[in-house]
Amino acid sequence: MAKKIVLCRCEDVTLSDLEHCVDRGYLDIEEVKRYTGFGTGPCQGKECLGPMATQLARLTNKPPEKIPPFTSRPPLAPTPIKLLANAPDAHRFADDPDPKRPGTEPGMGVGKR
Amino acid sequence: MARRLPVFDATRGQPVEIRIADTAVRAYANESIAAAALASGTRVMSRSLKYHRPRTFFCLEGHCSGCLVRLDGVPNLRACQSPCTPGAEAHGQNAFPSAEVDLLGAVDFLFSRGLDHHTLMTGSSVLNKLANKVVRQLSGLGKLPATQATSLPAVGNREIDVCVIGGGPAGLAAATACAKAGKTVVLVDDQLQAGGSLRADPATGRETANARVADAVKAGVELLERSTAIGYFPEDDPDPAWLHGAVLGTSTSATTPSAITTTGEDVSTVISTEHLARGVLAVATPDQLVRVHARAYIWATGGYPVNLPFADNDRPGVIAARAVGRLLVDHGILGGEKICIVEVPQLATETERLAAALTAAGAEVWRVALDDTHGTRGRSWVSQVQTSHGRIDCDLVAVAAIPSPASEGPRQQGCRVVLDPDAGGFRVVVDDAGKTSAPFVFACGDVTGYVGPSRAAAHGALVGASVIAAIGGA
Repeated sequence: MAKKIVLCRCEDVTLSDLEHCVDRGYLDIEEVKRYTGFGTGPCQGKECLGPMATQLARLTNKPPEKIPPFTSRPPLAPTPIKLLANAPDAHRFADDPDPKRPGTEPGMGVGKR
Repeated sequence: MARRLPVFDATRGQPVEIRIADTAVRAYANESIAAAALASGTRVMSRSLKYHRPRTFFCLEGHCSGCLVRLDGVPNLRACQSPCTPGAEAHGQNAFPSAEVDLLGAVDFLFSRGLDHHTLMTGSSVLNKLANKVVRQLSGLGKLPATQATSLPAVGNREIDVCVIGGGPAGLAAATACAKAGKTVVLVDDQLQAGGSLRADPATGRETANARVADAVKAGVELLERSTAIGYFPEDDPDPAWLHGAVLGTSTSATTPSAITTTGEDVSTVISTEHLARGVLAVATPDQLVRVHARAYIWATGGYPVNLPFADNDRPGVIAARAVGRLLVDHGILGGEKICIVEVPQLATETERLAAALTAAGAEVWRVALDDTHGTRGRSWVSQVQTSHGRIDCDLVAVAAIPSPASEGPRQQGCRVVLDPDAGGFRVVVDDAGKTSAPFVFACGDVTGYVGPSRAAAHGALVGASVIAAIGGA
């Protein structure tokens, strides 16, 4: 193994990757996420978000309380998709007409099911 | 080498035979695949995505990606959260020809200083197209399942007073308090067995955890085991009839507007967030999805074990100190004979307790401060830690870092969080009663900042009491 300080083990993001990212001017946590890919692996940031944000505060000389977390999105853990297949509205896209809200415009997913 | 301690033999359950990487392995019914793998000498379970560095479990709590395996034809399952069922077959993933010997590991050395995929082979469009083809072949985790799902499970519903997420010391205490006060309570826990950090702390352990879980169930708590709160959907409100009843249950409260007591009115349009939590919490159980509507939510999700920044901190054999404790007090497995603990000063008390328990079990233990730790050496398993005071030969490294608050669920519910390096990450901001910034959403234990296993139960009981007061009624 070549010598590396790994901060995100899912996506193999190292401390030097973060420094490189900050050097290129990506200083916001969402930018860092998109540039390095940290937090986008199977753990979705459980292991790396805290340490990455702490290092980002140090590298950018920002007070920690000024660093927000990246957006949290479902599912929060690896979930077999069959569990979701029978959920109400599982086959409805966000821009489809909502039967509970008359008057909503048809979206791209209409008529495919 | 890890070994099973004979004093724990009575609690292991029936012996079973499983197969790991095509080798038959003796395991026990109460062990996870990951624990059985470690005890049988299986060291590398998979490979990392980019550099194909060897990986094995780190947290043993289902929250890292270290132990993803293909189990009985299903990819990407967490070995630490999969029980040893007779005949189970686990294989490593993301490696060729095997997790232990992976030719793609060459990537790690070719790009020893790092790999920026934004600029990799972008100079020539022909080269770039070729590179994209190769990368697409290599990327992604695991292969598709061997068989299709034959049936789709129905979706369940729970309409209750209180939903507690996390079955560690704080969550168990909060749930038990609410159930004893006559509230309907669902407790969601994502581990093989509830108990959380009680099952990793030498001061408590398996018996204490079992007793507190039994107390909660006896008080009337419905325990959803091996279940994860996977998301909060604010737009998905419960059945208006239930909402009506739920709010009428609090009708003694002076803040309840008289308008909603009018029968027949569509309460879903007049009830505001002043009266109860809105939306649905989706919970994935092993068998089905459950939509939980609760009047109040208590997040007691604790913190995730995290790594500390030192060179080659991802080498297999470097695992969370809490995982070492969990192996010892819950599984009866001593993780190594020579154990080096890398620690931060804030956890001195807990680390002292773990070191004493490991020593008593027969291990040689060293404690090194993070600031004195320079890196690890070894091949696909750690064999040495380099420190300011020389090299330490070891066969296991335990990382004692402050757990990072598991606050992504509360964040979805709109709770304010703040980055606090002393709390290990983004802690949920609460007042003295455990109230978050979101209406009828509470939090207790390590998710609010590091509380520690000893004080978590008291915090949970306190927050449980404030939830009972907040939702009113008997």
